[in-house]
Amino acid sequence: MKKKSTVIILSVVAAVLIIGIALTGTVIGSYNGLVEMSESVETASSNISTQLQRRNDLIPNLVEVVKGYSEHELETFKAVTEARNALNGADNLGEQAEASSRLSGALDIWVNAVTEAYPELKANTQFIALQDQLEGTENRISTARKDYNDSAKKYNTNIRKFPKNILASIFGFEKVEYFEAQEGAENAPSVEF
Amino acid sequence: MSFKKIISALLVAILFCLVFCGCENKTEELKPTEQFYVNDFANVIDSEKETALLNKAIALDKATTAQVVVVTVDSLNGETPEEFALNLGRAWGVGNKEKNNGIVVLLAVEEREIRIEIGYGLEGDLPDSKTGRIIDYYGLEYLKNDDFSAGLYNVTSALINEVYIAYGQTPEESYVAIENLPQTNDLKKNGSKIIISWIILIVLVVIISLFGSRRGGGGMGPMLFFMGGPRFYGGHHMGGGFGSGGFGGRGGFSGGGGSFGGGGAGRRF
Repeated sequence: MKKKSTVIILSVVAAVLIIGIALTGTVIGSYNGLVEMSESVETASSNISTQLQRRNDLIPNLVEVVKGYSEHELETFKAVTEARNALNGADNLGEQAEASSRLSGALDIWVNAVTEAYPELKANTQFIALQDQLEGTENRISTARKDYNDSAKKYNTNIRKFPKNILASIFGFEKVEYFEAQEGAENAPSVEF
Repeated sequence: MSFKKIISALLVAILFCLVFCGCENKTEELKPTEQFYVNDFANVIDSEKETALLNKAIALDKATTAQVVVVTVDSLNGETPEEFALNLGRAWGVGNKEKNNGIVVLLAVEEREIRIEIGYGLEGDLPDSKTGRIIDYYGLEYLKNDDFSAGLYNVTSALINEVYIAYGQTPEESYVAIENLPQTNDLKKNGSKIIISWIILIVLVVIISLFGSRRGGGGMGPMLFFMGGPRFYGGHHMGGGFGSGGFGGRGGFSGGGGSFGGGGAGRRF
């Protein structure tokens, strides 16, 4: 009788231990998974910043080339400056995405206006080169944005899923914002002359 | 009976998953051909140049591990050339995994677009401006005249040579490096010839701006007048004893796992 109860107690203890070990393993695994995901979100977000900076650095060079043809940067450049200031002043991802999108649109309009006003620019290899760089940067920004949103989505989904959501709330994994502009933000406001 | 039910439920679930996984990808469905480096899905490259390009790409891979992959398609099915080339480059793993030194040259016949996608690792040596210049100087004139074969051959050969230069190796003898090409904004010094070119240019620009104003990268055609037209080089490599037959046994080539970040340049022609 006594023997039987010890056997039961022992097997319960063993079962609890095994479950405990297995649980700890899962917890560690899930935790590390969350850390990895959050890390790749970080990387993706810094990729966006790099490309945004790259575009910022390109604009003065373009202006310089255009100045060789005209003293003025054209009225349409105002929208570029405004969007650029908005981007510099943005303090969250949504605002940044919005301003970035506006800047893309404004730059596009400005480059078109400039080449229309000074068709000679289209034959200037330096201008073409800068335009290629600008388009390339715009493309890199959209690639970086897509990669960021993909990894953010994966991360956000994971911290909401059971049972990872328990872990996430214990260790303070918070939902991250998406890098998304509101629909139509890329259409920069038209400039009045 | 309940056991059977469980099994069939499981099977249905598995099937469901499979169906859903299959729906997600678009470009990934496009699989590389046996030749991997040259995938002429639109059938626009003549066989002589196809063989020559394949051999050049194989030689480049052997010498530098960089992979240059040419893809022609009839249509992009609504995707932008940038997206299409990027997704394809990533899905096929063009380039070495550590060096990310892949290049995708994409030509879409219906959209009349060419796009060169440069892997992360080569962005420093082949910045967008240089890539754009390669298209303008070596390919655009041919592409505009529907000679896709020569255009692609010249552009791809130029890219391959630039990669050799980037890796400190000697390019083909006849190749003129992009850095050594004349800059059109320097040409003002050269006098009277330029005036005629200017007149032609202005007329062309007027014509171009009258007929449809395309977004971005437009109007590169006139540039060629300044540079004496594109150069056709490397022709002596063709028709030689370079059959691709010897490679069949290896079961084709494949990507090295390289990745892309959206670098490169493109043109509509």
